[in-house]
Amino acid sequence: MTTQFDNIYHELEPQVGKFRMAASGMAWMNSETKAVVSVPAGEIKWAQWMRVARNFRLRIGLKEKGKRENFDGFMRDDHDKLTSLMKQHYGIILETKEITFKGWNWGATDFQGQDLAFLVSNKTAFELPLQKVANSNIAGRTEVSLEFATSAASRPSKSAADELVEIRFYVPGTSTKETGSDAGEE
Amino acid sequence: GTGTKEGKGWKRFQSYKGEAGLPKEVEILRILVDRKAQTVVLPMNGFAVPMHINAIKNASKNDEGEYTYLRINFQSPGQLAGKKEDTPFEDPDATFIRSITYRSVDVHRFDSVLKQITELKKEVNKREQHKKEMAD
Repeated sequence: MTTQFDNIYHELEPQVGKFRMAASGMAWMNSETKAVVSVPAGEIKWAQWMRVARNFRLRIGLKEKGKRENFDGFMRDDHDKLTSLMKQHYGIILETKEITFKGWNWGATDFQGQDLAFLVSNKTAFELPLQKVANSNIAGRTEVSLEFATSAASRPSKSAADELVEIRFYVPGTSTKETGSDAGEE
Repeated sequence: GTGTKEGKGWKRFQSYKGEAGLPKEVEILRILVDRKAQTVVLPMNGFAVPMHINAIKNASKNDEGEYTYLRINFQSPGQLAGKKEDTPFEDPDATFIRSITYRSVDVHRFDSVLKQITELKKEVNKREQHKKEMAD
């Protein structure tokens, strides 16, 4: 038996596609380009459910170390269906990854595999892919900046997603002796 | 010295209580100003990341070739900008996001986003100022 979900995205690709699950595995097909991403049942190691921008994400961890696939666009109501399908087909428990929506710009960074996660009150606010970091800088003792490789689209369109190009962090120094006095001219 | 006035004037703020509060439009992966929640929602690698206006210091924009760059600066410790007393931090030992920069070819939209952020900030500042005057 195959179960199909429509209007699902793969990773950050702009086009939607169809996502199918069966005992043999899962597959996603891009509705425009017809490109297929398939995950055989034997490759599936774990599964997570989390809220992202394009509604909910099913993240599949693969047996190949560090590899995983993200499928976005699921609705809240799909959760129970996915939970039972994951269990029934692959004997895997769909875990929920808690995401924070507090709106705070302070927290902690955490290296998680190939990502740098930013946590607020121990919940994930977002993850940044380290492979896409084109440059990083340390300014002074407390500032770290990451620059991201931007898409090389020859003619970027106005309808494209906003592109993150740089993020700067204030990281408290290990030596804090001099920070008490006025942060003066240096 | 140790004279930092932690807690004074610090008012806990929160953008959304849970994911259901996110506006539907975040799915197009563009910066969204949600005035009602006093929040700017940023698309970050597929995540919808709310940033409360109280955490935002200001925003600026500059054009380079066919791209427009929008930079959002956040409140963080160790900045030279005055009013130190007014920006207490709950946890000064935390890592802070200091700025985030985006680019787009849609100059008009970034113009509008910048305007909305600046106005929201002004509005909130004004209200705070008013509250302070009432308290005095």
